[in-house]
Amino acid sequence: MAQIETLGILQDIQSLVSDQLQVVSYKWLSRNYLVSSSTAMRLLKEFVEKHENGFEVVYLLSGWLKSNPPIYHRKLVSGSKLPEAKQEFNESCSVQVYSVQACIPKDPAVLWNAEFLQAEELFKQPSTVDNCLRDNRFCGISNSFVKRNVEGTPLDISSSHLKSEVNLGLKSNLAHQSITVPQSLQNKGQQSSSKADLLSPSVAKDVKSESNGSEVHAQASKPPGDKKNTSLPAEEKKVQNGKGSSSTGGSLATFWSRASAKSKPSCPAENSNLIPNPAGASSDAQICAQEVVEGFSSDDDVHDINVKRASNGEGTRKRRVVFDFSDDDEYEDAVNLASPETVEGKSGRALKESINIPVPEKSNSNFDKQVEDKPKTKEEISIGSEQLLKEDSSVLRNDGAMAIFPTEKKNKQLNKEDKQIKAAPDSPKRKKILKTRIDERGREVTEVVCEGQETAPPKKAECDTTKVDNNLVTSAAVNRPPAAKKASAVGNTAPSNATGKTGNKKAGNKDSKQGNLLSFFKRV
Amino acid sequence: MEKGKECIIVGTLYKHMKLKPCILDEYSKERSVTPLVKPHNFIHSDDYLILEDESGRVHLGGSVLSPSIYVSGVVFALHGKETDAGDFLVLDFLEAGLPPQIEKPLKSREDKYVVLLSGLNIGSSSSNPLLFQLLVDHITGHLGDEKEQEIAAQIVHVVIAGNSVEIPRGLLNGQNLTAKDQSKLSEPIKELDIFLTQIAAGLPVDIMPGPNDPANFCLPQQPLNRFLFPGSSVYNTFRSCPNPHCFELDDIRFLGTSGQNIDDLEKYSEAPDKIDFVERTLKWRHLAPTAPNTLGCYPFTDRDPFLIESCPHVYFVGNQATYDSRLLKGSEGQAVRLICIPKFSETGIAVVLNMRNLECHALSFDTQFM
Repeated sequence: MAQIETLGILQDIQSLVSDQLQVVSYKWLSRNYLVSSSTAMRLLKEFVEKHENGFEVVYLLSGWLKSNPPIYHRKLVSGSKLPEAKQEFNESCSVQVYSVQACIPKDPAVLWNAEFLQAEELFKQPSTVDNCLRDNRFCGISNSFVKRNVEGTPLDISSSHLKSEVNLGLKSNLAHQSITVPQSLQNKGQQSSSKADLLSPSVAKDVKSESNGSEVHAQASKPPGDKKNTSLPAEEKKVQNGKGSSSTGGSLATFWSRASAKSKPSCPAENSNLIPNPAGASSDAQICAQEVVEGFSSDDDVHDINVKRASNGEGTRKRRVVFDFSDDDEYEDAVNLASPETVEGKSGRALKESINIPVPEKSNSNFDKQVEDKPKTKEEISIGSEQLLKEDSSVLRNDGAMAIFPTEKKNKQLNKEDKQIKAAPDSPKRKKILKTRIDERGREVTEVVCEGQETAPPKKAECDTTKVDNNLVTSAAVNRPPAAKKASAVGNTAPSNATGKTGNKKAGNKDSKQGNLLSFFKRV
Repeated sequence: MEKGKECIIVGTLYKHMKLKPCILDEYSKERSVTPLVKPHNFIHSDDYLILEDESGRVHLGGSVLSPSIYVSGVVFALHGKETDAGDFLVLDFLEAGLPPQIEKPLKSREDKYVVLLSGLNIGSSSSNPLLFQLLVDHITGHLGDEKEQEIAAQIVHVVIAGNSVEIPRGLLNGQNLTAKDQSKLSEPIKELDIFLTQIAAGLPVDIMPGPNDPANFCLPQQPLNRFLFPGSSVYNTFRSCPNPHCFELDDIRFLGTSGQNIDDLEKYSEAPDKIDFVERTLKWRHLAPTAPNTLGCYPFTDRDPFLIESCPHVYFVGNQATYDSRLLKGSEGQAVRLICIPKFSETGIAVVLNMRNLECHALSFDTQFM
């Protein structure tokens, strides 16, 4: 890896650990900077060696215990306990840096949190996106047998084991041109070449296979959230548009072959025979012979693999899974996307007049979804305000009552902005507006209010949020009245965004605790 | 049977147990919510065995058969004679013994490892996600230096034998759920899905339902619905399997359960080690002899799906307290590796089996670094 990049990353680690008090584990590092896990560990090790103080280190000890029967043990130890922990192991135990942080947390799971948040973000991305979570690209082992079918029909595993062949003479490649990973890291099987140009066609294929232009667009328009958010969308963009960008070097770790079902890269013809016909009858799990080889070889498997992936990725999946995180304070501040005008600092969560109904369906925690709403919202919004399009929100009522949204991620919207909304041209017709308030039980209640009316006919306009798929979203979108930016004359603006996050169940005016199924359908 | 004449009878054993909880007793004692039956042992010294078949039943006497070892549902052949008291005095007995086994092909091959784990209990307060993350990282090859990654690369299959999630039970009391509760309910499964995605992206994984999983209660448990795992079910390496689960890998037959059968045996009989129960079920050629008597099971009428007709090469049982394994040799040359898989959330131990020689060792993780 270039010296400069290394230094840059080390400095970043320094600032993360000391200023932001974040736990930097090797996994987090590898996903964030798109480097392989081994490289990330090496970077951490360099960091530890360079900077002696100011942080704590957690090491990973691995090896066989001295017990009988022999147990292979992997143990996390803090720096101070390292020598004594080593005693339990046989002589040959390996020590690696697992993470660095400002101080050792009491609860071990804290180490895991940061990388889990990353994992969640990656997981929530649209299923057609192949990200580093979904293809394990930063690990040291690859398995070209693994196929991911985004069309929703499960592939039959028993039919897709390939006959094993011992791969002799396999070459392993350094996948990352930007990273000088020691050659011995190359494990079995085929490796993709380290050449960027090989990478670019493969990545390009991946790009093609992501059929959602809107998603790309959506991600591109993600506002800078917290650091994590920026890095991830950046990652995605890189991956998707990655044509030969060097930062996607990490993705080539997928081409490191692994223990099941490999065909030799040296026999491309054979590959092409095998790969299209994965239905080897036997359920053999085969291991490729390990070869630790230096050098590069252009690998047809790369293309083959990508061919496979491309074909899998072709259908768009209509469903989107949206996950909510209730009470996740971490997302609170990160929620507001795109809207520069958004002012924070509401004491509660301000509800803003929602422009696009589909938006509320999604949890705020899902940035993708929010962004994706933009295209939809454009149709519906009568207001020209660009920023508003991006917001997922319900309107703050003029009377100052703040609808407190029990669920977390809510866009924080401003009163100011509301006023702007109100200043926007009115729609000439009378509109029905959805209004959200909190009733006595603390539930969010959505009512439909006709302009000029005080109360609305009882209606639950919201749907149980989040876990709705696109179809539902779109239908709900149709449902909602076009965004009515009311003039202040109206008096209150209903937050149509009700549902939004986290699938609050909104009771209607009535006391019933259950959501109304008909709320999913169009109401006049 | 004639009195005094020696004969051989064949039938199904039934053990009459004094302490066996009866649902009627529970009902009569308290009309309110019945308390959960605690899984302790119901053995009593007054238990006695009865052999029965379609024609009748006979009380078994004698000291050859010790009631504490056997459970209802086992098929036996007994040699003995009827006594004056109307009992059948057992002189000798014959159990079914190990079923015939298909020979394992003796190709000399490389080491290939199968990782067996169970009892992840994601979502429970006792489970530590970092522990499982370490395991996932190990299996997928993120951890370790090159040498260790090479070893990890030889893992070809992962089997998760039950109890992968723990749904917060307090929410399942029939009331309507708020959205917050709903998301709390689904959090563990989502977390499991993310973990499974990481595994499935690397190698084939089978997941079986267990007693606490969102699957049906009666044996055989049906596979977990793949829509519970939207992220990982799109992989061709992900397979949701029933419990009990039987599969073949490289001509090696695996058979396993998530532990309900052995746990039930433990309630109604005794043995020095848990693995003895496992051995007994194999010798009796029946996976779950106590079903449907005390173990929930679908009422099959024409055939018994739990009969073990052909001896597996590996027989594993999940959700046990400790790791144990034994190589059982049969009289006809069968060799079976019996494995008790411990609960991962409590012990941090997974089992790694080498398919080449049927040896296994434990793979343990520890995150208590304080």
